[in-house]
Amino acid sequence: MDKLNIVGKSSFRVDGIDKISGRSIYPQDIKLKEMFHAVTLRSTVPHATFTLNTEKASKMSGVVKIFTAHDVTGKNEHGVLFKDHQVFMDRKINRIGDPLALVVAETLKEAKVAMKEIEVLYNELPGVFCPLEAMNEDAPKIHGDSNIIANMKLEKGTVDFSKCDVVVENTFKVPMVEHAFLQPESAVSYIEDDKLVVISSTQYPHWDRFELSLALGLKEENIKVLNAAVGGAFGGREDITSQIHVALATKTLKKPVKITYGREESFLAHSKRHPMTIRMKIGALKDGKITAMKNEILADSGAYASWAPSVLRKAMTHSTGPYEIENVKVNAKSVYTNNPFTGAMRGFGATQVAVGYEQIIDQLAEELGISTYEIREKNILRIGSKTGTSQTMYNSVPVDRCLEAVKKEMEIIKKKPVNKDMLTGYGIALSIYGTGYGNGFPDVSSNIAKINSDGKIEIFSGFTEVGQGAKTVMAQIASEVFNTSSSNIIINCEDTDKVPDSGTAAASRQTYNTGNAVKKSCEKLKDIILNLAQKELGLNNNIGLEVKDELVYLRTLPSMEITFKDLFSKYKDELSSKGKFVAQTTQMDDLSQGAPYWPYGFNALGVKVEIDPATGRINVVDGVFAQDVGRAINPRLVEGQMDGGFVMGLGYALYEDINLVDGEIKNRKFSSYIIPTAKDMPTLKKIIIEDPEETGPFGAKGIGESVTIPAAPAILNAIYDASKVRFTKLPVTPIEFMKKFGNKYD
Amino acid sequence: MNIQTVINGKKISVNVKNDMRLLDFLRDELELTGTKEGCSEGECGACTVLIDGSPVNSCLVMAFQIDGKEVVTIEALDEDGNLNIIKDTFLEEGAPQCGFCMPGMVLSAKGLLDQNSNPTRSDVKEAISGNLCRCTGYTTIEDAILKSAKKLGGKNG
Ligand code: FES
Ligand code: FES
Repeated sequence: MDKLNIVGKSSFRVDGIDKISGRSIYPQDIKLKEMFHAVTLRSTVPHATFTLNTEKASKMSGVVKIFTAHDVTGKNEHGVLFKDHQVFMDRKINRIGDPLALVVAETLKEAKVAMKEIEVLYNELPGVFCPLEAMNEDAPKIHGDSNIIANMKLEKGTVDFSKCDVVVENTFKVPMVEHAFLQPESAVSYIEDDKLVVISSTQYPHWDRFELSLALGLKEENIKVLNAAVGGAFGGREDITSQIHVALATKTLKKPVKITYGREESFLAHSKRHPMTIRMKIGALKDGKITAMKNEILADSGAYASWAPSVLRKAMTHSTGPYEIENVKVNAKSVYTNNPFTGAMRGFGATQVAVGYEQIIDQLAEELGISTYEIREKNILRIGSKTGTSQTMYNSVPVDRCLEAVKKEMEIIKKKPVNKDMLTGYGIALSIYGTGYGNGFPDVSSNIAKINSDGKIEIFSGFTEVGQGAKTVMAQIASEVFNTSSSNIIINCEDTDKVPDSGTAAASRQTYNTGNAVKKSCEKLKDIILNLAQKELGLNNNIGLEVKDELVYLRTLPSMEITFKDLFSKYKDELSSKGKFVAQTTQMDDLSQGAPYWPYGFNALGVKVEIDPATGRINVVDGVFAQDVGRAINPRLVEGQMDGGFVMGLGYALYEDINLVDGEIKNRKFSSYIIPTAKDMPTLKKIIIEDPEETGPFGAKGIGESVTIPAAPAILNAIYDASKVRFTKLPVTPIEFMKKFGNKYD
Repeated sequence: MNIQTVINGKKISVNVKNDMRLLDFLRDELELTGTKEGCSEGECGACTVLIDGSPVNSCLVMAFQIDGKEVVTIEALDEDGNLNIIKDTFLEEGAPQCGFCMPGMVLSAKGLLDQNSNPTRSDVKEAISGNLCRCTGYTTIEDAILKSAKKLGGKNG
């Protein structure tokens, strides 16, 4: 590869100083003239039919209108895969938190007061809260006549454990958890000329526009979605929440309307991470070679499907980990219950199964009497290996380098002094994550690159800056092509009227997919520029022409030059180019064999934990994290993802758990739903492993989800090392630890 | 009631309702929207401002309670230049991701550094332990605060 000037450098974030200075605008920061405020009435029971009486409430002071299902102007439905959500419920309530009505008033206070006066009469139905029970014939049905949303199988070779020398099995239970992005949902809408404008914080503005058009009964071209600053997402902003409500109110009342959720409503409104029960059985030969694996996965999708089949597919195909196993059998099911609905969350099913495969491989090593490193070294994917879906790994598979880097650092960590009053343990974990929607879905990103009247390069693409740094990365990719500073690139990504669809900021796909589209369109634009410059400079051809800082010059005679600005004054309309990129995946067959995702990213993590044997309090005190990125476009952004992903995984391992009682979330506050603070974060050594992916932009892969996967299993393996107790159920709170650790000697 | 207060160096005298929170007074009345609301219950720190130099959750304070006091928000004009140094260092260290916690973090940092010019990492962790961040893992924020301390030490010393 040519020498790179911008890619690989830690340029400052293009949106950094605005965010630090409080100048970035989130929807809650927007105040418009004559703006109404709206609050959402939500169900307080999990399964019921109901009647509403809004008469008294609608006469309350300040109330403008109360919207219910009757007022929906288009189809009363939405949903990312199936339209099983309703804008406002009219048939049946399926969970606590289902939207029943929207109170629009002149002030927020008036809206809140009036909402209390709406009478709801529930006719409660029996609910089902356990996914296993939900599969029973006679279980209450949530939608249609079966609660099973997806039932998938994967088969490769023939699983026969009698041929194995050692077989281990275990069942892992991972909880429902919350994204806990710091900015609660908020949306503002208004009418501008003949358009309905919706400002929100979303992961996918073009999708929102599509869903808005269906629910409102408007053409997409009459709707404009503006993405404001997004205060974290992690998958929790993929399903629509307040956007349709606010838009419906504006459409009807012809006035600006604003909705902002509080923290408790945010807990109720958006999806959660799928809780799963994962049974695993794994067998190996004496020499440590794993030859068979059989997994069963049961996921609770709650009241709505959201991404259930896609999450399940990712869980199933990733349940063999970054290992080559000849014989594999997996069955995976996802079911409806009356619990809060679950959907996309960082790792999208791949996070859950790693808690299983990375622990069971440690158990297997112990049975075989070999080290946790040796068993991994013997079985990891390498160039030429085949995954559980029989996909060939043909380039950029640096699992070995990730593992090696962690092994070396862990030797240093193990030599550091230990606290004698604590139980000390060390653990490692690897992970694998396949990028993109996958399974043959046409995963398209588009971009338009243009030169503007100032001679600057502008990028137009509907990707989303959710905090991961996508704006900065796209600017770096464009500036690399044009040999200029990334601060000279103007990025447009917020306005659906101006930018083409670039898919969702999910599945770790933006750097890879949209990055490729940006690179392609910029390269085409550069060719156009060189050809026009040739014409203007009266040259025979464009050989030896080079661009730098918005200028074209001849390398052999640099005084022969022309600026982009001058070219624009003459060739305005020609200075624009489209780029499109579609990821290459195939649809799997009935036994889930095929090439469902590409590219795959890998990592390895090692941690040291200290456990207070008196209280059960567990601290992660040291760690090393090696992350495959293909190529780091911006190393500092990569490290930021590694830190943030790690700490989210730490919360999963030790603290986080949506506490459900008959479908009700009991912990809807940060005082009862605990996420890690600065005090929980250890010094984490970060090692970036570069092994360019042939099809990536400058070799880059996405890492946004991958980084969160190995944390929980590495911590659990370290807890085992310290205490000799294997925890198969997350989170391992002090109470849970003491329960099992205390019983160990009984 | 009528209160006399200093907001970001500017003396003001205003009438505030008894039930108005300081956070709403800043965001809605003064349109200082850099102060964020993440939980409304004193649990996230996104609404941190400085009152007489100490970091406080503005969602837990009533507007009338700032009578006779001095409030600093993220929009403050930077008279001693310290706030700008902290902000620039946050940028250099790559601290922000989604950014929603950032104004609160910066003010907690300023509150700490005004009191303690030479903090250890554990002092820094303590100072920002009431500020939740879901994106960064806190490391770059801690690094930025430690580096700011060095820069400010150099500047003031
Ligand atoms: S909004 Fe004040 S502490 Fe969270
Ligand atoms: S940067 Fe997102 S919450 Fe801190």
